[in-house]
Amino acid sequence: MVIAAVALVLTFGAALAGYLAMVVPGVWFPAATARTWNASELTLSSGTGALDGTVLVVTTGDATNTVLLSLTTDFRSSDFPAIHWLATGVPDGADVRLLWKSDVAPNKTNVAPVTVEAGRLRPAILSRNPAWLGRVKGIALAIRAPLIEPVRIEGVTAKPMSAPQIAGDRAREWFAFEGFNGASINTITGGAELQDLPLPPLAAIAIALATLLLWALHRYVPRLYAYRVTCTLAGLFVVGWLVLDARWIANLARQTFVTVNQYGGKSGHDKHVAAEDGPLYAFIEKARGVMPAPPARVFVAASAHYFRGRAAYHLYPHNVWFEPFNDVMPSPAWLRPGDWLLVYQRRGVQYDAAQKSLRWDNGPPVAAELKLLEPGAALFQVR
Amino acid sequence: MDLLLVIAAWLLVWIAGIALVAVVPRPRDAFCAPGEIAWLAGAGFFAGAFVVTLWMRALSLAGIPFTRVSIGVPLLLIAAAGGWIAHRRDGPGLARAWRAGLLALSARETAGWMRALWWAVLGWLALRYALLFADVVTQPLYPWDAWIQWATKARVWFEAKAIVPFATLDTWLAGNGALYTDAAPTYPAAVPLWQVWSCVALGRFDDVLMNVPWWFVAVAFAFAVFGALRRAAFDPTAALVGTWIVVSLPLIDVHVALAGYADLPMAAYFTLAALATLAWIRTRTVYDGALAVLLVLACPLIKTPGIVWAATLVPGVVLALAPRHGMKIVAAGLVLGLAALAVLSQTKPIVLNYQLGLDFAPAWAALFESFYMLGNWNLLWYGVVAAAVLAGPRLVARDVAPFTAIITAGALFLFIVFGFTNARAWVETQTSINRAVLHIAPLAAVWMLVVFRAWAARRGDVAPAAASV
Repeated sequence: MVIAAVALVLTFGAALAGYLAMVVPGVWFPAATARTWNASELTLSSGTGALDGTVLVVTTGDATNTVLLSLTTDFRSSDFPAIHWLATGVPDGADVRLLWKSDVAPNKTNVAPVTVEAGRLRPAILSRNPAWLGRVKGIALAIRAPLIEPVRIEGVTAKPMSAPQIAGDRAREWFAFEGFNGASINTITGGAELQDLPLPPLAAIAIALATLLLWALHRYVPRLYAYRVTCTLAGLFVVGWLVLDARWIANLARQTFVTVNQYGGKSGHDKHVAAEDGPLYAFIEKARGVMPAPPARVFVAASAHYFRGRAAYHLYPHNVWFEPFNDVMPSPAWLRPGDWLLVYQRRGVQYDAAQKSLRWDNGPPVAAELKLLEPGAALFQVR
Repeated sequence: MDLLLVIAAWLLVWIAGIALVAVVPRPRDAFCAPGEIAWLAGAGFFAGAFVVTLWMRALSLAGIPFTRVSIGVPLLLIAAAGGWIAHRRDGPGLARAWRAGLLALSARETAGWMRALWWAVLGWLALRYALLFADVVTQPLYPWDAWIQWATKARVWFEAKAIVPFATLDTWLAGNGALYTDAAPTYPAAVPLWQVWSCVALGRFDDVLMNVPWWFVAVAFAFAVFGALRRAAFDPTAALVGTWIVVSLPLIDVHVALAGYADLPMAAYFTLAALATLAWIRTRTVYDGALAVLLVLACPLIKTPGIVWAATLVPGVVLALAPRHGMKIVAAGLVLGLAALAVLSQTKPIVLNYQLGLDFAPAWAALFESFYMLGNWNLLWYGVVAAAVLAGPRLVARDVAPFTAIITAGALFLFIVFGFTNARAWVETQTSINRAVLHIAPLAAVWMLVVFRAWAARRGDVAPAAASV
């Protein structure tokens, strides 16, 4: 069994080494170590944004929908073949480019494309870029796209792309905490959201190679290794499964800790207030206080489908209508006296207090009375 | 106290279910065979959880409001009557079987490192279920569909103390307030009724504790899988390790921790329906047949695709009933089915909420990513492919062929859904694909174990199974 364990470790190492051979752009053990610049050191040359703690939050681009961030640097390009901008919320399909100037041609601005994946930027590998020469005197990031949501930039790292650094990056991705979110019910990534080399295929390759190795050992040197291939494969598969399961259980334990910290010991009401939609829940609680006992007919409108669905859920057992998939208001023809309309963070709804009249999306007016009003939220009763 | 009430309510469901299954006639002392008690305990929960929803439907039809008495007392009566009948019929044998089951739990049959492994796996499973329990009893209803189409019904039915109809928009508007609506008004009632029973037991609507049955589903499922593997002649340690492999799929855990979807119940009912069907094929007893029928009937009442999942069992049954011509019959049925789908797809019909079309464009890259790169399935699909390749001709050997036919039919169903319908978009976005695969993943894991053992037996590395799943 010791031999099998050694074989599995060796083949895992070999598989990882094979991967590193493909991705390390230069020498495996360079002298340089990674350099990181924080968001506070960046200059926002185009676009609008502000620092939120340690993160630069960019809300809009300039007139051409361009965001430009720059940084003065001074490092040898050969020491750092990769530049990684730590950004989230970058629109898919955005035109993103890395720009830099070097002392080789100080007046020339060089450009390389940056790939967007799941709202993040992949490291730009520049080792084979002919313009990545000399000392780099400044780098910049240009994002051209309409920003639907803010782009959050934590900083930028110049990476030496050494074998230990890349292996370390992969290990950090495997063991990164994957907290539960809205997508968790559909997909578990198994660590960081973006991974260059996920752990399951590496484990599978290691198991396959170790099985072959041990099969050969059993066949040709049976005195050294006595287990048959079925036993070997089953054992290695179980060990591989256990490694992945241990990673998952550690993640689950951490998530349980987060959940208990957020909700543990709280009443049902306090749990909802502490949830992601706490402000919405608080408004609905007030609305329920204004409305009669269930079931009243109530229509729900909100621009975000999350808020439409959550508002409706909190309103049951009233007789709720909400459009789960599209941001549409109810047709005025559907409404009748006594019905209720709850609007939450939805533009285009106008109330004329003098006329006690409500209209939306340029439709006909509806006689209604405002019953509850808070910033971005209102409850009306149709007259 | 609140938590204890809900736990008591679900233990009552569990005990009633066990009693219900135990009264089905079977040979004397049959409960003493390996795995029988674990299978009874596990499958019993699912029988009870299904029957309680049927009873709540009946109450609603009869106009009797949901209360602790109207639901709890019949469960208590079923538990008592079933226990009494089973005791009268199998008294000493049943008691002996329960004692043997408890003794087996302490691994007295094994020694040395096998015993250490047994306890290690049990401890590992206990840790998993402890973490999941903490999540379930702490986290308010969280995942998306749970609050737009499942718990919406539970909330209304709990207040109404009855099942009131949910309808599509047009019907709702015409209903003048008599009907309700949500994102999926036609979805089956079983899962919301579980939540209603939790809340009825509790005496108030609580969107945390109403999800406790999902944890019970996970625990009972582990019992049932262990029982099924033991019944199929896996030795105790192999059966326990196999159970751990089946229940440790990360997506299963997520569906417990973030309870509220019907996919885990669907997976559990389908898996156990298939295992009960395969057990019936092997034993041809009333006991296995009755349990298979009950679990198969539950499938479409848990989630709409359950009707197709239930249909995927047919090829396995045909192969078992007609071993000589079964393969031809299944092949002919497959061709006819595909031809019918091809004709149907000309009109782009909507079948079980999927729009059927002939434009074949599966998202292979996304499928590959989901199955082999992401963390959803641990090493399951690597193992399934490896087991299939290694087993080769053993896949269609007489003892394995029905199981292989069921898995193939299930895979074909997913292939059609994600290759020929609008559902392919959900593959590309990694949304419903994994939840749909979850329905068959635990069964595929059991199949992987069975096929691997068949391969090992062919090589003479393990004793041929006295019985196969």
